[in-house]
Amino acid sequence: MADLPNDFWSAWIAIITVISFVALAWIVFSIYFSGKDSKTATEESVEPVWDNDLREGNNAPPLWWFWLIFSAMIFSVIYLILYPGMGAFKGVLNWSQDSRLDDSYEVYNDQFGDKRIEISASSLSKLQNNTGLMTTAERIFTRNCAACHGEDGRGQASLFPNLMDVDWQWGSSAQQIEQSIRLGRNAMMPSWQAALGDEGVDQVASYVMTIGSEEADSHPGKAQYNQFCVACHGADGAGNPLLGAPNLNDDSWIYGGSVEDIKRALVDGRNGVMPAFNDRLDDAQIKLLVAFLVR
Amino acid sequence: MNGMSLHKKLEENSALLIFGILFVSSIGGLVQVLPSLYQESLRTASVNTRPYDAVELTGRDIYIREGCSVCHSQQIRPIIAEVERYGPYSRAGEFVYDRPFMWGSKRTGPDLHRIGGKYSDDWHYIHLIDPRSVVPASIMPGYPWLAKRDVKTTDIQRKMRALKTLGHPYEEADIENSPSALEGLKEIDALIRYLQMMGTSFVEAEEEVQS
Ligand code: HEC
Ligand code: HEC
Ligand code: HEC
Repeated sequence: MADLPNDFWSAWIAIITVISFVALAWIVFSIYFSGKDSKTATEESVEPVWDNDLREGNNAPPLWWFWLIFSAMIFSVIYLILYPGMGAFKGVLNWSQDSRLDDSYEVYNDQFGDKRIEISASSLSKLQNNTGLMTTAERIFTRNCAACHGEDGRGQASLFPNLMDVDWQWGSSAQQIEQSIRLGRNAMMPSWQAALGDEGVDQVASYVMTIGSEEADSHPGKAQYNQFCVACHGADGAGNPLLGAPNLNDDSWIYGGSVEDIKRALVDGRNGVMPAFNDRLDDAQIKLLVAFLVR
Repeated sequence: MNGMSLHKKLEENSALLIFGILFVSSIGGLVQVLPSLYQESLRTASVNTRPYDAVELTGRDIYIREGCSVCHSQQIRPIIAEVERYGPYSRAGEFVYDRPFMWGSKRTGPDLHRIGGKYSDDWHYIHLIDPRSVVPASIMPGYPWLAKRDVKTTDIQRKMRALKTLGHPYEEADIENSPSALEGLKEIDALIRYLQMMGTSFVEAEEEVQS
């Protein structure tokens, strides 16, 4: 309670604590050590007696109880001197939650700091050749990424992309992958329902299925594709890593590869969100992840 | 007088005994609880901490109704293992608009205090409906009905007014508009909005200091 509003409350806590302590000590000591009550004759006559001589208080409580209480009292005195407790008094050790946390971080950094700096400065290939570190990287991946990208990193739920294939929506270089992890990614494809109309959606979707094959050139959906889609996905459907626009001319799909899936992409739009990990992971962890993912 | 004769007096006079029990058991409260009611850091909102808006408040009530707090705590302890795992530890000032707060110590699932921004809305959506579809080993139950039920718009104004009387700084206009803010939302949407704002105020505040 280091930030009490004024001295009154600090004094309040300290005084009540001291008074209760003294009162407790008095009760304990008087029970054990004040000797027999000097009873007057009248008192003795009203006191209940069993079995001739058994009456309240004629056996002291066991002595080990006393030692137990006594050591607890010593403990609390030492505790209140060392640690915060007596009002605003911070304790001789100057302990606080924050200082404890800082201390643990100091130990942590002493233990791992150099290793972390070394990892951050290493080349990716060197990290990739170190099986121990790659196991660590895999563990970091499982802890932070598997919930979306799947335990094996191969994507799941038709929402989260496969990171183990050759297709990179946002680019395959180490820098681009690092940026995906650090800053996150926000894919922006609006709905095309209004622009294309129902029939247009059908036709363009069917065209997208044929991109890369011979029928594509004569396909009736091509005109609208060239009008609305090339800017991001490119004339050949190869995509654009600057915009996160995926490749449409291969067999790998984020959201599923049926005509229905593609129609849904056109009707609803697609806005995949990859959260930023800058604040949740440190440099060494991110570096390890990049080494784990980049090929 | 010594301890034994005090004992005898108390034992023979029940009114005195009752008073004595009340007096002794109040000491802990007088020392621990009473001063903390005046402690600034427990009373004032942290930087950026704001009262829940209509949607978040509704989501929070769904969270309470569904018993999410049975398995999830909302309090990150100030020890390194927790800070490394979940993020900055929880500050008292972040909970001034939580009535009741849901700190808890029962963790069948992970702590959720810094869940805001950790996942995307899409992820929460499928995870809430069927946790096993994204976390195969999960033992969290699915909540598919949340995606079907519309949020209740009829009691939100009364809720917000009640909180306003307790000191939550709502504008009258916010209260007026609250039913329309909820219009058309499913329960799952409100719950996700709540999850996505949880614990985000402190992180933002920290960034502000740095920049
Ligand atoms: C503004 C740029 C932009 C334009 C224009 C655009 N797209 Fe996209 N498209 C994207 C982005 C970005 C994504 C990735 C969305 C995501 O990851 O959530 C995407 C995703 C898709 C997907 C899903 C791919 C998959 O792997 O599941 C399909 C299909 C698609 N677009 C088709 C089209 C068609 C057809 C058009 C023209 C009508 C079009 N897009 C126009 C940017 C664009
Ligand atoms: C909330 C779910 C979620 C989590 C957690 C998540 N990701 Fe992603 N990630 C996504 C989504 C969704 C995309 C695709 C974004 C888009 O549609 O453009 C993505 C894209 C990526 C990309 C770019 C892929 C490409 O093809 O260019 C990389 C790299 C990546 N994530 C790595 C990671 C790593 C590493 C982690 C763990 C530290 C992680 N992700 C955690 C959802 C997530
Ligand atoms: C039976 C206990 C249980 C209940 C009840 C429960 N959860 Fe969970 N929850 C878990 C477990 C276990 C996990 C970890 C596995 C997983 O991610 O599914 C988890 C994970 C989560 C996560 C992901 C946390 C993270 O950091 O990865 C969120 C978000 C979540 N739960 C929200 C909720 C909400 C909202 C409710 C109430 C509607 C709820 N949970 C009810 C057990 C539970």
